[in-house]
Amino acid sequence: MTTWPMAEVDPIRRLRVLAAAVPGAVVTETTYDAPFAQVWAVAADLEHELPMYLPDVRTLRITRRDGERLEAHARGYAGMRARFDIVLRPGWCVMRSRLLLGGMAAVADQEQTRFAFLGGVHLPAQRALAPGLTLLGHVAGRHVLDRLAEQVRRRS
Amino acid sequence: MQEDQVRVVRAAQRGDGLAMAELLDVLTPAVARWCGPIALQDSADAAQEALIAIFRGIGSLAEPAALFGWARTISVREAVRVARRTARERPAELPELPACDDPMLTVDVGDVLARLTPEHRAVLMLRDLEGLDERAAAELLGVPAGTAKSRLSRAREKFRKGWQA
Repeated sequence: MTTWPMAEVDPIRRLRVLAAAVPGAVVTETTYDAPFAQVWAVAADLEHELPMYLPDVRTLRITRRDGERLEAHARGYAGMRARFDIVLRPGWCVMRSRLLLGGMAAVADQEQTRFAFLGGVHLPAQRALAPGLTLLGHVAGRHVLDRLAEQVRRRS
Repeated sequence: MQEDQVRVVRAAQRGDGLAMAELLDVLTPAVARWCGPIALQDSADAAQEALIAIFRGIGSLAEPAALFGWARTISVREAVRVARRTARERPAELPELPACDDPMLTVDVGDVLARLTPEHRAVLMLRDLEGLDERAAAELLGVPAGTAKSRLSRAREKFRKGWQA
C-alpha cells in the first residue's frame, strides 16, 4: 500500500486555527512538567476542577452526556448563568455558550505536556473590539494556565 | 454532502465556534492528506496555515456542497507557498513516474518526493493521490493545462529516477 506523507495536525494546532478564525479569541500556551494523563485528568474534570482554574466560574454542572458531547450549566460569581454546549475528548475540549467560547488542548511531550487554553467572547461589536479583547485574553489565559498548574500540582 | 454537514457549514459561517470545531474535525484529515506530500517536513505548518485560511474565508463559500473542492484548492496553494518559503528542497535531475497501481509505489514515497519542487509535488498529488484529470489539476493550480501536463511529465520522470537511484 502506498504511504504518502500525511501532515500531523495535533490538538494544539487545531485550537490555534479556531482562535485565528474567531475575532478576539486568544490561545495561550504553556508546557507543564507533568505527564499528559495527570494534566488532562484535572483539565477535563469540568464539574470539580474547572471552577478552580476558571476564576469567573463558581459552579458548573453537567446536565447531559452523549458520547463526547455534553451540556452544562454554569454559574458565575457576579450572578451570571450560562448554558454551555461542550465537546470533550482526550486532549481536546471546546465549550460554547451564547456569549462565550472556550477551549483546551493538550499534547503529550515525553514526560511533559504541552497545553493550550482558548478564550473568546461573542459580542455584537466583536470585530471592532478584537484588539482589546486579544490583550485581555492573553492576560486571562495566562492566569488560567497558572491556576491549572496549581491544581495539577495539588492532585499529584 | 449530508444535510448535517450543510447545517454545520452554515453555522460556522455565522461564527459559531462549536460548529467551527466540528468542521475542523471533518476537514483536518483531508487537509493533512493534501498538505503532506507537498510541504513534507513543513506539512504541519502548511496544514495549520491552510486551515486558518479556510476558516477565515468560510463566509465566502456560497455553496456548502463545494466545501471539499474549495478547501482542497486553498490547501494546495498554501502547501506550495509554505514549501517554497522554506525552500529546503533542491530538485534532483531525475525520468517518468510509475502509474498509481505500480508496485514501485508500495513503499514510503517521502524521500523521493523531497527531490521534487513543491509545484511538481502538487501536480503529482492531485493526479495520483486525488485522481484529478490534467484539466482539473491545472485549474486548481491556476496554471494553463499545458503547464500542468509538462510539470506532471517532469515530476514523473524525476520520480522514476528517484526510485532507481
